[in-house]
Amino acid sequence: MTLSLTDPAWYPIASSDDLPFRHVYQGQLLGRELAVWRADDGNVNVWENRCLHRGVRLSIGVNEGAELKCQYHGWRYANRSAGCTYIPAHPADAPARRIENRTYPAHEAFGLVWSAATSDRAFAPFPGAETADDWFALRPMPVNAAPEAVIAALGRLAPDDQPAQILPGLAIRLGTTLYFVQPVDAGRAVIRGLLPGQPDDASLALRHHNEALTKLRDRLERAAVRQPAPAPLQPAFDKVSAELSTMPDIAIPRGTTMPVVVKRKWTSADGVVGFELADRDGRHLPTFQPGAHIDVHLPNGLIRQYSITNGPGDLLSYVIAVKQESASKGGSQILVDTVREGDVLAISEPRNNFPLRRDAIRTVLIAGGIGITPLLSMARFLDKSDLNYELHYFTRAGEQVAFRSELEALHGKVVLHTGLPRSEIGSTIATALGPWSFAQHVYVCGPSAMLESVRATAAAQNWPDASIHFEYFKNDKPIDDTSSFDVELARSAMTLHVPAGKTILEVMREAGLTVPSSCEQGACGTCLTGVLEGECDHQDVYLNDSEKRANTAMMTCVSRAKSARLVLDI
Amino acid sequence: MTITLHDFELSGNCYKLRLLMSILKLRYDIVPVDFYPGRQHKSDAFLRLNPFGQLPVLQDDELTLSDSGAILAYLATRYDPTGLWFPTDPAILAQVLRWHAVADDITATSSAARLALGFFYDVDLPKAQAGAHAIFRLMDEHLWFGEREGRDWLCTPAHPTTADIACFPYVMLSEEGGIGRQDYPALRRWTDRVRRVPGFVVMSGIFPAGKALQQA
Repeated sequence: MTLSLTDPAWYPIASSDDLPFRHVYQGQLLGRELAVWRADDGNVNVWENRCLHRGVRLSIGVNEGAELKCQYHGWRYANRSAGCTYIPAHPADAPARRIENRTYPAHEAFGLVWSAATSDRAFAPFPGAETADDWFALRPMPVNAAPEAVIAALGRLAPDDQPAQILPGLAIRLGTTLYFVQPVDAGRAVIRGLLPGQPDDASLALRHHNEALTKLRDRLERAAVRQPAPAPLQPAFDKVSAELSTMPDIAIPRGTTMPVVVKRKWTSADGVVGFELADRDGRHLPTFQPGAHIDVHLPNGLIRQYSITNGPGDLLSYVIAVKQESASKGGSQILVDTVREGDVLAISEPRNNFPLRRDAIRTVLIAGGIGITPLLSMARFLDKSDLNYELHYFTRAGEQVAFRSELEALHGKVVLHTGLPRSEIGSTIATALGPWSFAQHVYVCGPSAMLESVRATAAAQNWPDASIHFEYFKNDKPIDDTSSFDVELARSAMTLHVPAGKTILEVMREAGLTVPSSCEQGACGTCLTGVLEGECDHQDVYLNDSEKRANTAMMTCVSRAKSARLVLDI
Repeated sequence: MTITLHDFELSGNCYKLRLLMSILKLRYDIVPVDFYPGRQHKSDAFLRLNPFGQLPVLQDDELTLSDSGAILAYLATRYDPTGLWFPTDPAILAQVLRWHAVADDITATSSAARLALGFFYDVDLPKAQAGAHAIFRLMDEHLWFGEREGRDWLCTPAHPTTADIACFPYVMLSEEGGIGRQDYPALRRWTDRVRRVPGFVVMSGIFPAGKALQQA
């Protein structure tokens, strides 16, 4: 048999013992180098051993427990999805969220870690695997010889009256011992052995088999050097597709949703209800960045944004929290009242308007009430990476502290400010911030009054604008609707006049068009529309400055035109 | 005390001393020696310090010392109040010295291959690489069985010794000599442990490992 680059068979590539806490194992299968690492949640990741940035080996990266960080350039990739979560040169919401490292299938069983060159075949245990529920892995023995020669030599170890039993996938059974030959490359292999059950004297058994395999290896290698070395396998690595590696076009209609099931609904604090949303088939959800939110499509047709509270690489479900407000416009209330565990909801892919820098010397997180949700995620990311941060969480009363146990699990400085009189909040914020110095950043999420207070206090203490980060879920800016102009709707072949006092959205609806919208105050992004011609008068808080300058998309609910005519892609 | 290290930044042997002095929190001055391309270690002034013409040289007040292994033993004996880094128990001392000798073999193979590829030295490269692989195989086996027996380091004490420091740099720098460590998983795990020793410092090509298991 000759080795095939597209061989879909599963081979052992490591022992379970090879993946101790926060280690990155370097392996190889059929010419493909692998970085193998176990996340703190126990999941084993088998990835191509290259950072997508400059091809530096990920086996010399830092295993942070939920993300693997490239040692040289600081790119980070998430547990499970291998999605890039951070590019140092783009601390803002960079292409990161769509770049994914190449991965290989992984399965851990019988004390070994298994992988395959392709995902074409499901993992199937070897014949007889079910006869013992406990397997004992021998010391792996790397051999500089062709895998086919190694399996043949193992077969010759069998005594004449007890011939070896050849199993599929370069495996062989000698008596009760199973040997698997991992095809590292055309001229290299690793012998991995399994004994059924635990031997009486583990140390003796290990030494005995190690000695026998060493002798076999030495024989094989002496024979191999007398023959011409086989040409190494040459796997081809496709480039990451442009669609995955470039910034997603913000003008793409945001209708794409995915279904998720409500796995858990619970009361996290007085007036705060938590929802855990998971894929219906148990697969992982898309990679997200700290600070990211999802759009949740509600049963009554409204769309609302909720921050993901998860920590890094925690992709088996998203946890969001909803505040029960008496003055709710019917968004949050319907989630709390009518959505039950087991219900299916449509959500968008995560989007991040609130990116976290991870090159700060000191990060201050300030949360007010339900504003804890994006900051909890940020704190968990900083915590896992052992970065310096402080989290200040303001609530009116102790029973309003949401995610208490999650906050207690953090190792950084977490300060709960409960029931402070309004007069003291300002001075508490001032103390928490302190005077600004280089590479300090503050992130704030909470009621508008609090946002304004933090911005004013920080500015008074010499914090530059670039160091103060906040996210609007509400547009509090006064909207100037005094302009009048024409809109051409390119796809609908319609020209409408927008008079002063009316929004583009209203005019389009009056003309009989069905257009999606949600907050209607320029904060949520639901009515995002592509702009083909004309100059926008952006009045929203959804697009960031560079997106606004690009003049390629706008919010039809609040934004208007500076030019006499605007051509929209609708 | 005034310690002065005659040092070349890219030398693994000099790094061994910087590493131990950092772990022991010693203050020292550095005199840079232009080993490459200046060959200052063969200059008259340097030969007066060390007639062997080799880096590193360490001066401690009036004392002038050479050979990285010998200096490691000196620094640990003199400045490590815990006595852990260079233990005096005869059986353990013999183990430490055994691995100091292995460290010299690693220098003669892995470091020689690195000098050939990175510094254009005239070295039998295949022979140096094969020699390094032979030593790494032995170390991997020693460390693999050590892990099974509850021993994390090269010698039997439950803590690292100068033996680990002496062997560490040119194992870590082996890729620069074209010597992969893929076949030595236990050796790779040991390098993680060394890189987590409190006081660890980096050099070009030797970087920190991920955070160690937290003792909750």
